[in-house]
Amino acid sequence: MRPFQTFSYSIDMRLHIADYLIIVVYFLFVIGVGFIIKKKIKTSNDFLTSGRNIPLWITSLAFISANLGAQEVLGMVASGAKYGIMTVHFYWVGAIFAMVFLGVFMMPFYYGSRARSVPEFLKLRFDEKTRGLNAISFAVMTVFSSGISLYALAKLLEVILHWDFDVSIWMAAGIVMIYTFLGGLTSAVYNEVLQFFLIVLGLSPLVVVALHDAGGWANIKEVLQPELTHAWKYMGSADTNPMGINFMSLIFGLGFVMSFGYWCTDFLVVQRAMMAKNMNAAQRTPIIAAIPKMFMPLIVVLPGVIAIALLQPALASKGFTMPSDGKGGIDYTMALPSLISHYYPTGVLGVGITALIASFMSGMAGNVTAFNSVFTFDIYQSYFVKHKSDRHYLIVGKVVTVAGILLSIVTAYIAKSFNNINDFLQLVFSFVNGPLFATFLLGMFWKRTTSNGAFFGLLAGTIAAAVTHGLTLAEAKGGWIYPLYEIQSGMGQAFIVASFSWIVNFVTTIVVSLFTKPKPDSELVGLVYSLTEKPSYHQDKWYLRVVPLGLILLAVTIILNIIFF
Amino acid sequence: MYKKLNNLGFVIGTFFIIISLILLIGGLLSDALDNTLDYYTGFSFLIFGFLMAFFNRKNDTPLRD
Repeated sequence: MRPFQTFSYSIDMRLHIADYLIIVVYFLFVIGVGFIIKKKIKTSNDFLTSGRNIPLWITSLAFISANLGAQEVLGMVASGAKYGIMTVHFYWVGAIFAMVFLGVFMMPFYYGSRARSVPEFLKLRFDEKTRGLNAISFAVMTVFSSGISLYALAKLLEVILHWDFDVSIWMAAGIVMIYTFLGGLTSAVYNEVLQFFLIVLGLSPLVVVALHDAGGWANIKEVLQPELTHAWKYMGSADTNPMGINFMSLIFGLGFVMSFGYWCTDFLVVQRAMMAKNMNAAQRTPIIAAIPKMFMPLIVVLPGVIAIALLQPALASKGFTMPSDGKGGIDYTMALPSLISHYYPTGVLGVGITALIASFMSGMAGNVTAFNSVFTFDIYQSYFVKHKSDRHYLIVGKVVTVAGILLSIVTAYIAKSFNNINDFLQLVFSFVNGPLFATFLLGMFWKRTTSNGAFFGLLAGTIAAAVTHGLTLAEAKGGWIYPLYEIQSGMGQAFIVASFSWIVNFVTTIVVSLFTKPKPDSELVGLVYSLTEKPSYHQDKWYLRVVPLGLILLAVTIILNIIFF
Repeated sequence: MYKKLNNLGFVIGTFFIIISLILLIGGLLSDALDNTLDYYTGFSFLIFGFLMAFFNRKNDTPLRD
C-alpha cells in the first residue's frame, strides 16, 4: 500500500462525449456482471468464498488485480518518478519471490486445511485468540483501506476533472455495492479480471507514446542521473541512492519481511488463490500470476521514470509539466494523471480515466469482499451467532457487504476532514502486517510453535514496529518517542520498521513457545510442513507442476535484475 | 446469446469491442476523435476483443457452473 499526498492544485482535463460514453459502458458492464452472477449465488459459501469453483486463469488474474488498486498504480508510478528504476525492487525482489514461495510452500496448508480464510487457518493451527486478533485487525484494516481508496478516487476526480467530491464518492461506492451485493466474491473477482485488462491495455498506449516522445530508454538513461536508471549499482551505501537504503536493508526489509508478509499472509490476495478448483490450481495461482506481475513495471514504474526524464532540461521542448507539491517540490503522486493529461487525446483519454477508476474500484471491491468473508466467518459466526442455517449467514454476508461499503464512505469523509489520517492509518497497517509473516513461517514450518508463542509474538512484533517508528525519523515523519536515528526516505524507514518488528516477533514466538506446551502432532497434520503429506505432481507435464514453473520464474527474475543492474 | 453472456471471456471481449467501436467510429464522425492514437488503440482493442470473445476457447468458461 502506498500513502497518498494531499492534492492541492489542478490538472485541467476536459472530457468529451466519447470519453463519458466509455466510462458509462464500463459501469454498465461491471454492474451487468453482478446481475449475471446473482442467479448462481445460492449459499453463503457461493457468496463469500465462491465455492472453490473458479478457473485457474481467473484466479491468477484476480490475484494480481486485487493488488492493482489505485494506491498501487498511482503510488508505483509516483515511486518510479521519485526513486527511479529502483522501484522495480517491489516486483523483482519482493513480489515474485514471495508469490513463488506462497505457491510452492504455503498454499498446500491454506488450501489443504479447508480453512475459509487466513484467520480461520490461524485458529486451526493455533487457537481462537490468535484468530480473533488477526480477524479484527484485518477487518478494520480492509474497511479503512477501502475508505481511503474511495477518498483518493473522489479527490483525484475532483482535482483533474472537477467532478463533485460527494457525487464521485456515492457513485463509485454505489456501483461497487451493486455488483458485490449481487454476486459477492465471484462478481468482484470477475470484475477484477475485466479491470486488469482495462488497466493494462488502457495504460499501455501511454507508455508507448511517452517512451517514444522521450527518445526511448537509451535517451532516458542519457538525461537522467545514473542512480535513477540502475536497480542495484548504487545500493552499496544508503547515501548513494534516492531510496536511502543499502542492499541489505532492501533484501531483508522489502524482499523478505514486507513482501512475504503481504503476499503470503494478506487474506485479500490469498483469498483469490483459495477459490481455485483444486490443490494444483491453488498452488499454481500465485505462480501463474507472477508472470504478468513480473512485467507490470512496464505499466506502473516505467511511466514514472519517463515523467521525470521529460522534466529534465534536455527534454524541456516536449512541454511536459507536473504540478508542485505546494512546498517547492514536485508532486510525484500526480505523475500518472499528468502523463495521461499530456498525451491522451479525447477517446483514449476516456480509456485512461476509466482505467484509473477501474483500479480504484478493483481495490475497493477486493477489500470489501475480504472484509465480509472475515467478518461473517471469523467474527460473527465465531463469536456472536453460531449454528444458524446457511441462509442466515448468506443474508449476514450481504448485510455486511452493504455495511462495509457504508463504513468505507464514512472513512472517506473522515479522511477528507483529517488529511493526516491517511498517513496514520497506513502506518498502523504496517505495524500490524509487518510482523505477521514470522507467525506463519514458524507456525507452518516449526511444529513446536505454540498458540501462546504466536499470540504474544504478534503482540510484541506490533509494539516493536510502533517503537521503531517512534525512534526513527524520515521526511519529518516518525521520531515521536525520540528522534534517535534519521533515515533518508520514508520508504527506507518502512523497511527498517518492518524488519525490527519481524525479528522481535520471530524471537518472542520462539522463546514463548519453548516455555509453553505445544499442540500434539495429531492436531497438526495438514497444518505443519513436517507432518503433512506433500502433493505430488510427478505424473503431470512440467508446466502443470509448481516447482519447475517457480524455478523458471525465479531464473527470469534474476536475469531481469541483471539486465537493469 | 444468454449462454454467451455467462462466459467471462465473451463479456470481456465484448467490452473491448464496444470501446474500440467508440474510438474508431467516433474518429470517423467527430474531429475530436480523429487522432492517430485513437485509431491505433481502437484497432488493438478490436483485435484483442475478438480474440477474447470468439477465438480463445480456453477462456470459454461459464461464469459459474
